[in-house]
Amino acid sequence: MQGSDAIRRRNAWWGLAPAFAVLAMFFSAYAIFLHTSLQPGTSGGAAAGGWTLDNYARYFASANERSVLWRTMRISAELTLASVLIGYPMAYVIVRCASSGLRKFLMISLVVTFLSGTVTRAYAWLIILGNSGLVNTVLRKSGLIDAPLRLVYNEIGVFIALLHFVLPFFVLTMMAPLKNIPRALEDAAVNLGASRWRTFFLVTLPLSVPGIVAASSLTFAVALSSFLFPMVLGGGRVRMAANAIYEHIFQAFDLPFAAASATVFLVIALFFVWVFGMLQHVLRLGPSDRLR
Amino acid sequence: MQVDYTVYSRSVLATAVFSALFLLAPVLFIVVFAFHTGAYFSIPPEGFSLKWFISFFENDRFRHAMWVSFGIGAIVTPLTLAISVPTAYALVRGDFRGRELINLLIMSPLIIPGVVTGIAFLIFMSALGIGPGFVALVLALTCFTLPFSVRALVANMHGLRPELEEAARNLGASEMSVFRHVVLPQLRPGLLAGGTFVFVEAIDNFSITVFLSTMNTTPLSVESYGYIRDFDDPTVAAMAAVLIALSTGLVLLVGRIVGLDRMFRVE
Repeated sequence: MQGSDAIRRRNAWWGLAPAFAVLAMFFSAYAIFLHTSLQPGTSGGAAAGGWTLDNYARYFASANERSVLWRTMRISAELTLASVLIGYPMAYVIVRCASSGLRKFLMISLVVTFLSGTVTRAYAWLIILGNSGLVNTVLRKSGLIDAPLRLVYNEIGVFIALLHFVLPFFVLTMMAPLKNIPRALEDAAVNLGASRWRTFFLVTLPLSVPGIVAASSLTFAVALSSFLFPMVLGGGRVRMAANAIYEHIFQAFDLPFAAASATVFLVIALFFVWVFGMLQHVLRLGPSDRLR
Repeated sequence: MQVDYTVYSRSVLATAVFSALFLLAPVLFIVVFAFHTGAYFSIPPEGFSLKWFISFFENDRFRHAMWVSFGIGAIVTPLTLAISVPTAYALVRGDFRGRELINLLIMSPLIIPGVVTGIAFLIFMSALGIGPGFVALVLALTCFTLPFSVRALVANMHGLRPELEEAARNLGASEMSVFRHVVLPQLRPGLLAGGTFVFVEAIDNFSITVFLSTMNTTPLSVESYGYIRDFDDPTVAAMAAVLIALSTGLVLLVGRIVGLDRMFRVE
């Protein structure tokens, strides 16, 4: 048996060879990128060696950069919270509903959204929320408002479009953990006289906390890296981290500084992935294991 | 236990339906808007026509962008699948140290912000002397879409019974023919689902693509962004309607074979 195991292990490594080639390319790109962030921030490009932390110092000294970073984290946290509030019920109904028609409708709404393209969706929201767009026209014709509501080129528009973008990620990730909670546990609580809300707060919610953390982790990571939606619906006024990096390259042509700000951003994004991962790990161990 | 009892209340159901309508609204809106005769949105509508579809297909830049995008999709999809199949097989059946770490590394493009990957590849490709353009786009998108197909194939392989492979081995089949004649034929659902994700992502990606495009190699996503920035008419809505019809048709077709629930199972 030993021999057969050795063969399988060797084959496993051969099978991974193409993936290693891809990973090598991927991480070489990051290595060169990191190297660039340590070059002096001249736009001449022909920097002759010389290592410097100038770009990082400049980044942290800039109040503007710090406020962009802070705004990015705040909007991402708000989006994650909003996704939990409206995405959890959606995932729950998909998993528990008795009618296959309803389930199909909810699933199709997720799938179609996923497939409809990001530029398309940004454009759609721009016209729906614009000053003479769908929402404002309907409200004005019905006499509810006199002047158009300002829904684009500010945070409201960016938030609505981004919520639409991240919601399917949350719901699709939340479905599997909810499916794993045995229906019998909820039925038992109800049969013993608990109300629906009591059942939810004492049975369903505690069992689904690790799932909520996992889905929130993905949602937060996706929200952090938003780029196109703030660019289109923010109209330059709502800049998130990715937009600031883009401007350093294509408006200031300062590649080293862009690389440095992207590195800081990457470290922060990975830090949050790690925090969520730890949280998931602790929760999965359960109360009894934690005491050990 | 009552038969007609549901575990959720009406307000939960209402929230779920509201979420679904919120998701569908912009998609339905853009498809209807594509047929609107006037360049600007208006109520009541100015009438309906196919003029923006004609405008889209007659636009040289869009036609060219369509070729670029489908070219990228046609190369990236089989390439990524070809890399993913042995990878997923090794990850599921292999028994070696560091498997978790390798899995994490392969999944890392999913959590690294797209803009960061875009710049990294821009610098990397320039350093290699390739520069931005079609080759750079294909390489970067292959790296980026790998986790999507590996995920779909790993889920697929977890469902296979190792006894079948064991039986073939006991009957004298080589590792290679076990893989070709026993494993591969059972991977159809994973290949279809993974391939669909990769294709859709390769065509739709913006944050990496925008850094690696050139004047002559501009995929649809970047071209249409430029259009909505510079012009104000529903030509992009017509493009959206065409792409939504194509991708929905593709997914419904694949979903019929694989099942939508299985296809979108996200672990």
